[in-house]
Amino acid sequence: MASQTLIDSNKKARIWNYSKVGVIYLVCIIIGIILVFPYTFMVFKSLMTSDEVINPNVVFFPSNPQWKNYLDIFTADGGAYLKALGNSLIVILFNVIAIPISASIIAYSFAKLKFFGHKIMWVAMMLTMFLPGVATQIPLYVMYAKWGWLDSLLPLTIPNLFGGSAFYIFLIHQFMKGIPQDLLDAAKVEGASAFRIYWSIVLPLCKPVLIYIMVSIFIANWGDFYGPLVYMSSSDAPRTIAYYVYLRAIEGDSASQLAHVRMAAGTFMTIIPAILFGLFQKQLTEGVVMTGLKG
Amino acid sequence: MKFSAKTFVKKNINGWLFNLPLFIGLLVFTAIPMVMSLLYSFYETDGITAIPVGFANYIRIFTLHDSQLPRILLNTIIYTLISIPLNLVLSYLLAVLLNTKVKGLGIFRVVYYLPVIIPGVVAGLLWKDIYDNTYGIFNKILSFFGIAPQTWFSDAKTAMASLLLMNVWGIGGGMILWLSAFKNIPAQLYESAKLDGAGPIRRFLHITIPLSTPMIFFNVITSIIGTLQYNGTLTFAGRAGRGPDDSLYMYGVKIYNEAFVRSNVGYGSALSWVLLIVVGLITLVLFKTSKWVFYGEDS
Repeated sequence: MASQTLIDSNKKARIWNYSKVGVIYLVCIIIGIILVFPYTFMVFKSLMTSDEVINPNVVFFPSNPQWKNYLDIFTADGGAYLKALGNSLIVILFNVIAIPISASIIAYSFAKLKFFGHKIMWVAMMLTMFLPGVATQIPLYVMYAKWGWLDSLLPLTIPNLFGGSAFYIFLIHQFMKGIPQDLLDAAKVEGASAFRIYWSIVLPLCKPVLIYIMVSIFIANWGDFYGPLVYMSSSDAPRTIAYYVYLRAIEGDSASQLAHVRMAAGTFMTIIPAILFGLFQKQLTEGVVMTGLKG
Repeated sequence: MKFSAKTFVKKNINGWLFNLPLFIGLLVFTAIPMVMSLLYSFYETDGITAIPVGFANYIRIFTLHDSQLPRILLNTIIYTLISIPLNLVLSYLLAVLLNTKVKGLGIFRVVYYLPVIIPGVVAGLLWKDIYDNTYGIFNKILSFFGIAPQTWFSDAKTAMASLLLMNVWGIGGGMILWLSAFKNIPAQLYESAKLDGAGPIRRFLHITIPLSTPMIFFNVITSIIGTLQYNGTLTFAGRAGRGPDDSLYMYGVKIYNEAFVRSNVGYGSALSWVLLIVVGLITLVLFKTSKWVFYGEDS
């Protein structure tokens, strides 16, 4: 009799547990649907005809998926999207190489080399983390105007030869701190120069943090419409993909014949970072974790 | 040992060389521009010709002589004061949900984080469409549940609330931070608290919150800096990013409009310096009052 109730209560506990897990799953799924809904809806809209996109009788699914919308991105406006994509890729290619190298050179000086003025440079660098970007954009604009940099890709690339951002330098520095000094000392004894040690020993060991930074740079540059808006605003300036999507989006003329292309371009712009995120999910979420900064 | 310039240089040269890019970068792209913009703020200038005006630009800001400013300040303050705590609380709830010991919840972490990596321009394009009065899907969904259609971005009364609602889709970012903070809390703490008879609310107040304060502290500071200069409304609130009756007009966009649309480089610079000082003061006050931040037993 007593053992029977024990089994019963065990069973009850198990059922209770299962239903608890079920409820948690259900809540998670509902939240997931809500959070992903806008983007799935955009994907559906990207497959609609222009009329369907702006139809007051809103439909959720495209009646007849227009896969050619994605081809239209590249032919619409005389290939303007394609040109913008090319410019974005140039900027990104430059920055994903320039920033990791320059930032790691600087980080190396802080992490492994002792020098006079070390502290003041560190403080100055860390202060820029708290500096609102808007504080420098106006004088930079005037400076770039004097240098003839406006309406070119230079403002989006050249300043990144100097570390990119304090945040990246800080991250690499934290990572380099963990590299045992003995390893570097041994190389030094064998006569390796500081640059040699940096290039052949330290840099390869920093791969995980460098990958995180490169992916972050890609995503940031890919989505940056504000830099081009400020520094490349004239109508014959080269455009980046984010800036071009921005220009199309603010046209406001929703009845434009190109409404479907806008949605397709928006989807395309989302797919690239989504793929990167899928590939580097671990580094990205853990990178965010180690920084504690992004939010 | 006598001080020798030669050994001093020799000892430091490598460090200096490796640090040189930072020095150049800070000088050319941060320090000089900041001094320049401070100078501009005392002129009426378009960046080419300049008339000295003393403190006129600042007086114009602090006496709210610019008739747009009261609304802009109010919007910016409301937006900052609501969006940051809202994000912190909602992302906390989401993190708690995903932190339950149930198999297979990892996938939801990815799903919830996805909206965060959507480029801002695309989000703007998309939400303008979703909120649209004629062909937007939100009103369609509301009508399905028998709720009257809303005006969203198209009316001054609902625009700010709509923006705050839109931001909820980005709580995955905060969630990841909370989850990492949870990970750093030793499980034994909870177990011994349970043994001592502490309920979930007390465990939250006395363990979770204190041990997450470094994350909260850093997150709040960076969020404030980011939110005060927020310019995302440029992507969906009309060409000038102001919204109906300036209901979405915020400080970051104001600086953009003054400096780059109206070429008021002097006034725009004064506005940026005011923002810079406000951000500096907030950061300073937060750091000075950061006794509540718990950095572990030994500090």
